[in-house]
Amino acid sequence: MLSTIAIESLKRRKTTAILTLLSITISISLLLCVDIIRTQVKTSFTRTVSGVDLIVGAPSGQLNLLLSSVFNIGTPTKGIEYKSIAALQSNKQVSWLIPLSLGDTHRGFRVVGTTNSFFDHFKYGDMQSLEMAAGSTFTQPLSTVIGADIAKSLGYKVGDKIIISHGLGSVSFNNHDDHPFTISGIVKKTGTPVDKAVYVTLQGLEEAHTGPKHSPTSMLGRKSADKANEHEHEHEHEHEHEHDEHTKEYAVYNSEAFTPESVSVVMLGLKHRVTALQLQYQINQSKKEPLMAILPGMALAELWQIMGNVESLLLGLSGLIVICALIGLATMLLATMRERYQEIAVLRTIGAGPFTLLLLIQIEAMLLTIVSAALSLGLVAGLMSALKPWLSSTYGLFLSSPLFGQSSVIIILLILGCTYLVSLFPAVAAYRRGLHAGLNANS
Amino acid sequence: MNTINKNNSTHSQRNAVSEGHNAVNKERNTAIEVSNLQFSYTKESPPIIDIKAWQVSQGEHVFLSGPSGSGKSTLLNLLCGTLTPTQGDIALLAQPFSTLSNRQRDKFRARNIGVVFQQFNLIPYLSVAQNINAAVYFASTNVSKTASDAKLRHLLDKLQLPSHVLHAKADALSIGQQQRVAIARALINDPQLLIVDEPTSALDTDARDSFMSLLKDVAGESTMIFVSHDKAMESYFDRHCSMSELSPSTNHIKTRGDEAPKAQERA
Repeated sequence: MLSTIAIESLKRRKTTAILTLLSITISISLLLCVDIIRTQVKTSFTRTVSGVDLIVGAPSGQLNLLLSSVFNIGTPTKGIEYKSIAALQSNKQVSWLIPLSLGDTHRGFRVVGTTNSFFDHFKYGDMQSLEMAAGSTFTQPLSTVIGADIAKSLGYKVGDKIIISHGLGSVSFNNHDDHPFTISGIVKKTGTPVDKAVYVTLQGLEEAHTGPKHSPTSMLGRKSADKANEHEHEHEHEHEHEHDEHTKEYAVYNSEAFTPESVSVVMLGLKHRVTALQLQYQINQSKKEPLMAILPGMALAELWQIMGNVESLLLGLSGLIVICALIGLATMLLATMRERYQEIAVLRTIGAGPFTLLLLIQIEAMLLTIVSAALSLGLVAGLMSALKPWLSSTYGLFLSSPLFGQSSVIIILLILGCTYLVSLFPAVAAYRRGLHAGLNANS
Repeated sequence: MNTINKNNSTHSQRNAVSEGHNAVNKERNTAIEVSNLQFSYTKESPPIIDIKAWQVSQGEHVFLSGPSGSGKSTLLNLLCGTLTPTQGDIALLAQPFSTLSNRQRDKFRARNIGVVFQQFNLIPYLSVAQNINAAVYFASTNVSKTASDAKLRHLLDKLQLPSHVLHAKADALSIGQQQRVAIARALINDPQLLIVDEPTSALDTDARDSFMSLLKDVAGESTMIFVSHDKAMESYFDRHCSMSELSPSTNHIKTRGDEAPKAQERA
């Protein structure tokens, strides 16, 4: 009965109720959005790279190196000469090495020059390896492997030819038209920046820039080529039925055998992780070519710290906005109190106690907030699914489900708690009125 | 809850007694018994009401008159329990009322007292049915939904209200209709006591007459206190009381004007 009265009362004050509802809905949505972005960014962050012990590049900043190599954001650094790579390759502590050459794009998607070692060693999430949704890794110098999002958004399939462009703009006039790459494989969706990157061979990338070059024997190739073959054999056993036709070609083309002039970044896997700090120190001190090595975990933490501060601030601000909206709710209820004196008198007459009046006002406030919260959840869910492609393409933010986690639940509970407290003001006013007012509204 | 149950049991006892020994036990038949009642809104101000003793028997229909400011509304609020006496006692239906807790008094009012005001009797944004059901809800009696619906239809019928008004919002009705709905609302829980405060002042003479005959008809065996400053209504009632006779000391000062002699005349 009380809720019927509350609902009818709100219906009667439709305009103010709807405006209040709107302001609360918007503020809760804002808060939920900030919270979702916050948690999703964090998940996205921690998912992007795992198993890589060191990232080495030209000296710039820890964050720049991390962003350009892992997130495919920002401009890559100058590059590392081949002899330094070879030195790293021959370092006893190094187990594997992934060279990355950055700086080109394909229709707005970043192009990354690398070798098959990338597909063998790069891991994301909880040490998950990259898997092929279709096709295989590089099979010839002009092979390309594309991320799941690119295949989906551009409608590519294995065997299609694509042309890469020089530079990082989404529109480029400098296309490498004479070096079309054939898609040899599509990586299964990872929810990391890998999904929207085009991977090409270092050899193909360099040929596209400088023309063909032949270097049959390479220092770089030796060590990792052996490993790749080893790995390939394991691979063969696991996926014999799937990859039979490709393994032949794969075995024929050894992407590591090519000697690049320089690459942008190198990812290192160590035999013993404990030596990472030591090797980082060695690399940072190297005299031959100034280099910089970063620990991805630490760089991620630093990046997160910067982002985290901003997000706490945003969260705080959104929280304040919600409180403002709730105060608006209390104000609306208080403002209507005078016109409710009549109603309070009637309710007292038919036996409602002052406490019932208090409850009635609180039910109204709670109803508004609960409806607002439900609307906000719907709104945010809709907004996020609508913005999903844009968020991932523009900010590299991959939304993973569930969208609403524990923190959303806590936020909504907190908001309900705040509503309860704030609604005490009008509710107590009704209570006092009920306590002192006589039966007749005119008295 | 205990008290409520006690209330109920006392009622049934009383009813049983009154059926059996109607004339014998006079005390049990008293609907309202006021003794040494004093009330003032603040400690400093002189009492607005000072009644030595006043009794209303069960089933009596009493016309209570008095000029504005004579304390009629205050007395009604005291009888309904929304105000508590500064001194003295009120017993309703043969049990102490003014000493009950606020909550118990609210419950008692919901169950046993039906009230009709001059105007604003209904919650404007609720439908007629919702208004009346709210009264049933607050009385929290164990009457089934179907039983109370049947009663409601019966009451509306008696009060000559068409059944389609049930779902109309209260403020969509005419004043006369609203007053009749207010009677239905007041009677829905079969109250022992009916308190009616100037219900006709917003009605014209014709509407007033039909309202009064309806009220007398539906009030039936309930004890009724009818408050009005309009002497024309007197004729509907067998017993007349005026504030100046009930509370002579307080009304002596205030109503020295032209109304006071009339009241005294009647007394």
